[in-house]
Amino acid sequence: MYTVVIGVIGADVHAVGNKIIDHVLKEHGFNVVNIGVLSSQEDFINAAIETDAKAILVSSLYGHGELDCKYMKENMVEAGLSHVKLYVGGNIVVGKQDFTEVEERFKKMGFDRVYPPGTNIEHAVGDIKEDLADA
Amino acid sequence: MMIMNKKLSKEEFFKKREEIRSHWPTGADERLEFEKAVALLKSVPDSKNFAKKLRFAKEHDLTMIQPRAGVALVDQHIELMQFLEKHGKADFLPSTIDSYTRQNRYSHAEDAIKQSLKQKRSMLNGFPAVNHGIDGCHKVFENVNVPLQARHGTPDARLLSEIIHASGWTSNEGGGISYNIPYAKNISLEDTIRYWQYCDRLVGLYAEEGIELNREPFGPLTGTLVPPSISHTIAIIEAILAAEQGVKNITVGYGQCGNITQDVAALQTLDSLTNYYLKIFGYDDVFVTTVMHQWMGGFPSDEAEAMSLISLGATVATLGNATKIITKSPHESQGIPTKEANAEGLRASKLMTRMLKTQRYPSDDVLKAEKEMIEKEVKTLLYATLNIGKGDFAQGVIQAFKHGILDIPFAPSEMNHGKILPARDLRGNIRILEFGNLPFDDEIKRFHKDALEARGKAEGRPVSFKMTIDDIYAVSQGILVGNSEYKEPSL
Repeated sequence: MYTVVIGVIGADVHAVGNKIIDHVLKEHGFNVVNIGVLSSQEDFINAAIETDAKAILVSSLYGHGELDCKYMKENMVEAGLSHVKLYVGGNIVVGKQDFTEVEERFKKMGFDRVYPPGTNIEHAVGDIKEDLADA
Repeated sequence: MMIMNKKLSKEEFFKKREEIRSHWPTGADERLEFEKAVALLKSVPDSKNFAKKLRFAKEHDLTMIQPRAGVALVDQHIELMQFLEKHGKADFLPSTIDSYTRQNRYSHAEDAIKQSLKQKRSMLNGFPAVNHGIDGCHKVFENVNVPLQARHGTPDARLLSEIIHASGWTSNEGGGISYNIPYAKNISLEDTIRYWQYCDRLVGLYAEEGIELNREPFGPLTGTLVPPSISHTIAIIEAILAAEQGVKNITVGYGQCGNITQDVAALQTLDSLTNYYLKIFGYDDVFVTTVMHQWMGGFPSDEAEAMSLISLGATVATLGNATKIITKSPHESQGIPTKEANAEGLRASKLMTRMLKTQRYPSDDVLKAEKEMIEKEVKTLLYATLNIGKGDFAQGVIQAFKHGILDIPFAPSEMNHGKILPARDLRGNIRILEFGNLPFDDEIKRFHKDALEARGKAEGRPVSFKMTIDDIYAVSQGILVGNSEYKEPSL
């Protein structure tokens, strides 16, 4: 059973999607460590260290995701988590922007996968299983 | 000291008040001295008194309208308020408070005010009432002709409440549960109940001086498929906690669910049950009104579709005899609306309240059954809370949330159990799919289960969380009962 850390980054209190992700991942047999809303990069990293997680799933719905996720990959590497997969999804930037550009930007920042607004979590589950089986 | 549902003594209150006034420089304003605030509030005309206008509305069987709105700077905020009063025909005005103030981050708000002045646009998502102090808040009050209310989401609103009331604002939204569980992550209920006892005691002290102010617990909670019996129970408990502190004029709230019968049943029982339980628990001189919030979930992005949803909200609120409606705008899916769009939502709602003024939803067996189920569930939740609190509602709330006896779907707070799951039945009524630790008996559970199984059968799929997920996204996609496989019937 894979352990994954999920949460909502920054000053964001949007909880609904977080609960949905939690539920669906558990249904698929993941050991879900949900650090909830209003979580900092440090919260994600510490939870991943403590639970020996294989992946971190970052949610953001209020537009400031790009600021909140800055240097997250670097901070993970520094914390000895370079092997941990990093995902992000939601309304991760301010306003309507071309998603292929957004995806590229976040991939450059070290995110393994980037999901646009309205992605069905079932879709991401397949990716996660595939990525973790390879790892 | 363990928190109890017990009226704060004047000594306790005024001692605390000294400390609270020191939280930000505007708290030192001498117009916050109690006698001066009393004098100002006594000069507020009835037409600008929230509590009195609500009494008027209820006596005349009217459904009144109020928007949400707030910007960073005082003059722009006044312009917005005047526009909504004049072009939106708002009966009541709000001042929606910004997110920094809600977290008591007044220095962040100060920076944002400076940025807003520099950039000539609002850098805040609401009106920073604490930073503007009585100077700014009273200026807003003087420049409008209808009652003002602070609407926010602030776990600790003590200084905010002091400032707005001393500025002539005659209503305050919030409560120790409804401004904690949906708005915070790890603030204890013990703390927020204490903070809101203070806000309520302030209103109670004004009442002792002959000044009637309105208080409004936040009804919709997370605004996401909340079963009526859960939001009702919390509204009733917050009404009881407020009444203990001496509040005499309370508006209990409810967020539109989408099924017309369930919405009417919810509005009717919200009024009757709040009155009933206030009296049962010894608070027999509280004047109760109801507010319905138009759809709080995701909106369609198409403006015509959004306006249709707004009109449905106004329709059920009026048919269900709500005293007040909190309106939405056709820009809802995009975020904060322009003042023009905000006024359009108001006007569309106003028309419906006028057209339906003399019409009421007919009572039939379906409505009756829906009301009986809400009544039974509320009774179960309320007495279970009281029992676990050993007869005290403040203790009861803390224990009930801890054990999942009270549980709000999709809330961010760690104080919440988060084990229940709602879903719609075939007709769009909100039912409960997973009960967590809710203390419901088999009859209640069977009722919910049967309703959801009938949907599963009709849709040819098992009853599961997938339904919940589909329901969450349904309204923004233009349907009520979610079905990811849904296709328009065609020839």
